[in-house]
Amino acid sequence: MENCRIRWRKVLYEHQAFPDNYVDQRFLEELQKNIYVRQYEYWSVVRESSVVTQQLASVCVFVVLWWYMDQGVLLPHWLFGTGLLFSLIGYLLFDVIDTGQGRRQNGRTRWADLKSATLFLTFTYGFSPLLKTLTESISTDTIYAMSVFMLLGHLVFFDYGANAAVVSSTLSLNMAIFASVCLASRLPRSFHAFVTVTFAIQIFALWPMLQKKLKASVPCCYLGVTVLCTVSALLGLLTISGVAALLFALLLFSVSFLCPLYLIQLQHYKDNIHGPWDEAEIKDDLPQFLK
Amino acid sequence: MAMKVFFPTCCNTADSGVLIGHWVPEMRMAVVLGVVHFPFIPNQVKQHLTEMQSLTGVDLCVLGSWSNHSPGNKDLSRFLEDLSGVFPHNIWIQLSKEKGGKFFNCYLSGPGPEGNAADRLILIFYDQRKVMLSHWHSVKADSLQNCSHVEVDHNSTSEFAMMFATVAKSECLFVMDIYDQGPVKMTHWQSEGKEASIVVELAKMASAPVCTLLSKLLFLVSGTTRTFNLWPVNFFWRKLSTCGQLGYRLEHLQTVSSTKKASSPSEHMRKANIFVSFLIDVFLGLLLISWLYRENRIGQMADALVPAADHVAKELTELLEWLMGAPAGLKMNRALDQVLGRFFLYHIHLWISYIHLMSPFIEMILWYVGLLASLGLTVALSVISDIIALLTFHIYCFYVYGARLYCLMVHGLSSLWRLFRGKKWNVLRQRVDSCSYDLDQLFIGTLLFTILLFLLPTVALYYLVFTLLRLLVVVVQGLIRLLVDLINTFPVFSILLRVCRAYRLAAGVKFHVLSQESGRPLHLLMQINPLTFSHIVQMYRLPTYSCYPQDSWSALCRKLFVGELIYPWHHKNEKQE
Repeated sequence: MENCRIRWRKVLYEHQAFPDNYVDQRFLEELQKNIYVRQYEYWSVVRESSVVTQQLASVCVFVVLWWYMDQGVLLPHWLFGTGLLFSLIGYLLFDVIDTGQGRRQNGRTRWADLKSATLFLTFTYGFSPLLKTLTESISTDTIYAMSVFMLLGHLVFFDYGANAAVVSSTLSLNMAIFASVCLASRLPRSFHAFVTVTFAIQIFALWPMLQKKLKASVPCCYLGVTVLCTVSALLGLLTISGVAALLFALLLFSVSFLCPLYLIQLQHYKDNIHGPWDEAEIKDDLPQFLK
Repeated sequence: MAMKVFFPTCCNTADSGVLIGHWVPEMRMAVVLGVVHFPFIPNQVKQHLTEMQSLTGVDLCVLGSWSNHSPGNKDLSRFLEDLSGVFPHNIWIQLSKEKGGKFFNCYLSGPGPEGNAADRLILIFYDQRKVMLSHWHSVKADSLQNCSHVEVDHNSTSEFAMMFATVAKSECLFVMDIYDQGPVKMTHWQSEGKEASIVVELAKMASAPVCTLLSKLLFLVSGTTRTFNLWPVNFFWRKLSTCGQLGYRLEHLQTVSSTKKASSPSEHMRKANIFVSFLIDVFLGLLLISWLYRENRIGQMADALVPAADHVAKELTELLEWLMGAPAGLKMNRALDQVLGRFFLYHIHLWISYIHLMSPFIEMILWYVGLLASLGLTVALSVISDIIALLTFHIYCFYVYGARLYCLMVHGLSSLWRLFRGKKWNVLRQRVDSCSYDLDQLFIGTLLFTILLFLLPTVALYYLVFTLLRLLVVVVQGLIRLLVDLINTFPVFSILLRVCRAYRLAAGVKFHVLSQESGRPLHLLMQINPLTFSHIVQMYRLPTYSCYPQDSWSALCRKLFVGELIYPWHHKNEKQE
C-alpha cells in the first residue's frame, strides 16, 4: 500500500505508476455544454419571419395580377400606370430614408438611375413582340410547370438575410424573370407581355431593395407594410379561388406562427459539447489582446 | 565455325584452273566468282586482279585450285598443289571433281589457324546470274506490332547480304567472254557470250537525249505554273483537286526524266514504279476518252447535267418547305422558321438562275475539259470530283450559314447560362468564377437567355439537316479521292517484277541438300526466296500527297455538336485551321 499518493498527471512521456489508459476523477471536468446556444424569444422570431411572408406575398400578388390580365379583367395600361406611380413613390421614399448616405457610398448618381430605367423600358418594349411568340408551339401545361418550378426556385434561393451557402440573389432574380417571361408569352397581345415583364422587375428586383432599407431604419413601419401586402394578396386570391386562399392563409399562418414555436421547442434538444479538444478559433480583434 | 564456300553452278563443267573470289575471314566464308584456266602467266593474273579490284572495290584474291579431271589422272593434283606457293593467300581451297561425276572433293590448307583441315566444310552452289541481278531486302519481324517490317539494309552484316553484295559489285568482272582476246581466260556466267536485246539497247541509247529534252520542257512548264502562286489564283488552285493531281504528276515526270542515274536500287525501283503507273494511267485515260467522244456522249452528258441540277434544287426546295411546316411533328418557332426557310429558298433560286445562264456553254466546256483526261485516269476522276463540288456549292453555302448561326447560338447560350447562375468565365485563370453582376446586366442577360433557349430547337434542326447533306457530299468526294490515291501509289512495276522475275527481289535464301556423306563436304543448292506481295506493297508504295482525316471520331463529334466548321480532307501542305 503506498503512503504518498502520487498524483496522476495527464502525460504519456513520463513513466507513471498507472496504466496508460488510466483516468482519475477529474475526467471530463472541462466539458461544457451548450455555451453558444441562443435563447430565442417567441415574438421576436415571429417578427423576423415576416421576411419570408413578405416574399410569399409578393409572388402571390404577381401571379394574381397575371391571372387578372389573362382573364381580361385588368387592363394592361392600368397596371403599367399604377406600377410606374408606385415605383416613383418608392424611389422618393428610398431617397428620403437613405438621407444621402448610401448614395455617397456606392457613388450611383440619379442620372445613372434614369439611364438604367430608360434602358429597361426600351429593351423590354423592343423585345415584347418576340417574347409574345416565343412559346407559341409549347403546350400550356409545360409553361405552367416551368413557371411554378422557377418561382419555387426564386423563393428557395432568395437572400432572406441568412448567411448560408445556398443563398444566391442572382440566381433567384434570374429565375423570377424567366418565370415572368414564360407567363408573359401566354397573354393576348405584346403590350401585355411588356407590362408583365416590367411589373416583374418592379416587384422582384426593386421592391426587395426598398424592403431592406425600411427594415434597417424603420422596423415597425416595415412590419405594417408586410401585413398590408399579405392581406391584399389574400384578398386577391380569394376573388379567384376560395380553396387557394384558404391554403395560402394556412401556409402563411404556419410559416409565421407555428414554425417559430417549433424552433423554440426544438432548442431543448440541443446538446452541443465544447471543451479543450475544439479547433482553435482565430480571433480578429488582436488590438484588444495587446492592450 | 564451319567454313562456307560459295561456288557458281556455271563453273561445274569448267576446265581445270585456279579459283578467283573474295574471302571474308570473320565469317569464314569464301565466295568464288570465276575460274581462270591454264595456260596463264601468274603475273598477268595478279595484274588483272588488281585492275578489277580498283574497278569493283571488292577485295579479290586467288582462293585455290579447281581440277575437273578424267578419272585416273593423278599428275594434275601434284601440279595444282605446287600452285599454292605461287599466289599469296590466306587460305587455299582445293576442289576436285571427276569428269562426269556429280560430287566434289575438297581439301583445305593454308598458313595459320585458318587452314585447319579438320574443319567442317559446306559447299553451297549458287546461280551467279540470278544472285548478281537480285536485290537483298532484310525483313525484320517486329514482335510488338505482330508484323514484319521490311527494309533495305545497306549495312547488313548478314552473311548472305554480304555475299549478294559482293557478287553484285563484281559486275565488271563478268564483262569479258571467251571470244575476247584478253590476258586471262575466265569462266563465269557470261563467258559463253553476252546476251542483250536490240530493243533494250536502242531504248537505252535513245533515252538519254529524250530525257534531256523532256526535263527542259518540264522545267519551262513548272516555271510558268509558278506564276499561279499569286492570290487570288492561288486560292482556286488549292481548292480544286484537279490542280493538285496535275502538280503531283508533273513532279513525277520531273523525277523520271531527270538525267541523273539512280543512286541505289530502291531509287531505280521507285522511278520504274512511277513510270509504269503513269503509263497505265495515261492508257486508261485514253481508253476513257475514246469511249467518251464516240457517239456524241459528251453532248448527252451536257444535256443531262442541267436537268440533274434542277432536280437537286427541286428536292432541296421540297425539303425546306417540309422544314418550314412541322417536320416530324417537332414544334418550331414559326416566325424564325419562316425567316430561315425563305432565306435559303432565295439562295436556291439564285443558284438555279446561274445554272440556267451557263447552260449554253456547258457542252463546250465539257468537251474541252474532257480532253484533260488524256493526261491520265486520275485526272479525269479529279475533274469529276471537282464538278460534283461545283454542282453542290449551294449545299456547302447552306452548311456554312447553318453552322455559323448554330455556333453563335451555342456560345451565347453557354455564356448566358453562366450569367444565369451568377458565374463568369475567368479568362486569366481559364476557369469559371463567381461574379456579382449589375441589375441591368442581369436583366438583359436573363431576357436574352430565355429567347435563345426557346429558339434553339429551330436553328438546331436546320443545322442538322444541312450538316447531313454536306457530309453526304463529302463522303462521295472522299471515295473518289481514295480511288485516285490508290491508282497513284500502287507499285505496279514491283508487283510485275515479283510475278515475272521473282529472283530480283530477294528476302532470303533457302537450301536444297544435294548430298550428305561422311568424308565429303556437305553439298547445298542455294535458291532465292522472294519477298511476299504484302511486303512489296508496303515497301515500294509511292508517297501520297493527300491526307486522311485529321480528327478522330470523338473530336469530329465534338465539333459537330458545338457547331465548328469541319474540313475533313486536308492537303498535306495546306495551313491547318
